[in-house]
Amino acid sequence: MYSLQLSPEQLEIRDTVRDFVTREIKPVALKADRLDQCDRTLLVDLIDQASQMGLRSLALSEGRGGAGADALTSCIVTEELAAGDADIAAVLSESSRLAHILFDQCMNDAQRDAFLSKFQSGDRYHLAFAAREPGTETRLGINYHRPADLDVAVKTTAAKSGGDFIINGVKDCVANAPVAGLFAVLVQIPGRPSANVVLVPADAAGVSVQPEKSPWQHGTCGAVIFKDCKVPAGNLLGDDAAAILAGTATPGRGVPLAQALALGVGRAAYEAALDYAHIRVQGGRPLVEHQAIATKLGEMAIKLEIARAAVWQAAWASDHPEAVADRSLADLPLTSIAQVFTSEAVMRTAKDAAEIFGAMGVMRDMPLAKYVHDARVCMHSGAGNTDLRLRVAEEIAGYRRADKRAMALAGE
Amino acid sequence: MDFNLSDEQRAWQMKARKFAEEEIRPISLERDSISTPRETWDWDIIKKGSKLGFRTMAVPKAWGGQGTDFVTQALVMTELAKADSAISKAFSQNWKWSHLISASCTEEQKKRFLPAFVADDGWVLGKGITEPSAGSDNRMPQDDPKTGIKLRAERKGDEWILNGEKAFIANAPVGKLFFIDVRTDSTVPPRQGTSMFLVPSDTPGFRIGKVFNKSGWRFYQNGEMIFENARVPHANIVGEVGGAVKKAGGSGGDTTGGDLFGDLELCANALGICDDACATALKFAKTAKQGGQPLFAQQNVQLQLGKMYMLTEALRSFVLRVAWEHDKRIHSANAGLAMNYSGDVANEVTELYMEIRGAQGCHMDHHTDKILRDAFIWNHLACDSVSRMKVVRRLAAAA
Repeated sequence: MYSLQLSPEQLEIRDTVRDFVTREIKPVALKADRLDQCDRTLLVDLIDQASQMGLRSLALSEGRGGAGADALTSCIVTEELAAGDADIAAVLSESSRLAHILFDQCMNDAQRDAFLSKFQSGDRYHLAFAAREPGTETRLGINYHRPADLDVAVKTTAAKSGGDFIINGVKDCVANAPVAGLFAVLVQIPGRPSANVVLVPADAAGVSVQPEKSPWQHGTCGAVIFKDCKVPAGNLLGDDAAAILAGTATPGRGVPLAQALALGVGRAAYEAALDYAHIRVQGGRPLVEHQAIATKLGEMAIKLEIARAAVWQAAWASDHPEAVADRSLADLPLTSIAQVFTSEAVMRTAKDAAEIFGAMGVMRDMPLAKYVHDARVCMHSGAGNTDLRLRVAEEIAGYRRADKRAMALAGE
Repeated sequence: MDFNLSDEQRAWQMKARKFAEEEIRPISLERDSISTPRETWDWDIIKKGSKLGFRTMAVPKAWGGQGTDFVTQALVMTELAKADSAISKAFSQNWKWSHLISASCTEEQKKRFLPAFVADDGWVLGKGITEPSAGSDNRMPQDDPKTGIKLRAERKGDEWILNGEKAFIANAPVGKLFFIDVRTDSTVPPRQGTSMFLVPSDTPGFRIGKVFNKSGWRFYQNGEMIFENARVPHANIVGEVGGAVKKAGGSGGDTTGGDLFGDLELCANALGICDDACATALKFAKTAKQGGQPLFAQQNVQLQLGKMYMLTEALRSFVLRVAWEHDKRIHSANAGLAMNYSGDVANEVTELYMEIRGAQGCHMDHHTDKILRDAFIWNHLACDSVSRMKVVRRLAAAA
């Protein structure tokens, strides 16, 4: 039954993470010196601490050392973390998401024996899915409602050589690449009809990572180059792994983690503005008592509440496919819907929050300029809103495309 | 109605376009990426532009300037801003205050300052109003004497002794001469108790504090001003004691003083950002490909571009009408409305540009990132609630 009543455990973890963000993350992430330099160096020590709290393995099943968190819980935690630092939230949510997919859904016992204990014991052992290649088309765009005749072949190859695979190729824009202990790599095995996924430890010979330092990302990402990289043939995951990892097995029904991250950014901006509106006096009254400011604050609260409802609904649908099957929830790409609404709501919220700070809202040493930038990045994380609208449209228009094409598209 | 530009206006526009493309654009991104705010300014470009008249073009010919009209000034601001909004502002900031000198200073003051300003390619002007605790309060002065400007001056013989500080002051770190609003009477409402002083940068007891680290408009510097028993001669008072608000334009509708020029300045500059975004977006849409076809083949991209151009051309009409009204000395609130509108348009156009840039699915480039940050400056200057209410109150007062 569709319910948004949080469990005592969910409430507890939300409070725990919120407290951690207030006490540990914000004082470091929002330090004036750091903001002033636009320093976005990943705060690895804080990520280590979060890992020790179990947030790196949050979604991993309890039997395998995780917390077995469902999608809704994962979203609640991601929102809380992002309210402190979007980059920390991005790294942890990616590892947690992939831990559940890889260890709980895709690996066989031998593979788990090989990698699970390393993941469990290493606070800095993160996970990454290396799928995109330079020049890969990630947009639907012109191919909306049309059968795409595109070269979607994966160029990174895994050639069988005795009991091993020899991997060659280049991946780019791989989230978590610079901090990954283990890569799930999308490869083409010569002679096979579609792409497969091979597990490659980051310390394997022939693997090198080039961090991509763009301010237009959350977390950390990089290019991964495989040059005659040899891994045991046993590292090959099952044939369904590629679709599960890329989210094409259940399009529009993935865990809305990027959406929860955006929500956290928006909430941080809103809370900062609300606090400041109580303190700052102009026109003889605190800003919060002015109609013009009150309307902006009210609008922020409205937008964020509706965004959270959209994110939670998408999370619920991800946890409960039966809620869609029995028509409790609409049979629509709910994560895409949540992404479009949330990112736009957060963009508006961050800009209005900055305006409340006046000139301080555009200064680098204040958090507002960071929130505005983070909100802009959210507008373009994954597929981008123009494209997501088209993907929603393909669903409601009843257009179905072959998995192979869908595979190449960016995640939501 | 005549939409034709005069030969002279056209010549200035062309000169500005050439200077912007050949001199400003090549250094724009490089200056923007300097992380220390004190080091973003580049005297070379200022001096080069000054030799072409871009620093002094608002000074009357009788005083050695170029005496251009407001339409010309609007055209030039837009052209310069196409290549770099902040560098355009670094030049036009001087026009704003040379208008004020021409409109409000005595002959003696003009003699002391105007020729020196005109002759020195490295002389830029500024004006200090905002203080840490008086931002919106200065823009919409309250009647309570305790509100507003705290920087105070006490008269001692032929001098005034100034104590206090200003914040976010444009050109503070680089200017040679500033107009400073000071409370000369703290017992009456700020509107009546504020005077304007001409303060040269070498005034004893006056110094510049920190340079603010803005997310946009990087080239153009805003700084703190600190006055510790700064001594300013009585002869440097602009107008009467207690007359600062009136002199700056205030609500009186002075079309030559700094205030209304500032409205025109912001909307003409925003237009340059929009022109740049449109031209770059169109070129990108025609060359960059997605799904094997130029982005322009997509209906969504066409609609986004159409909206960008529609808003930009509407803004151009508004900007030029305001400039024309200034030249005709027509008093209206249109400059303020155009300024408010320009903030909305600059934000929407640059965000549409960002959307088109993202249509291939890669990270944004530096140019996109920069003009988004530049356009966002308008949110606290030109289209925030205070700016909007200020304009509509001006409108209501005139009705």
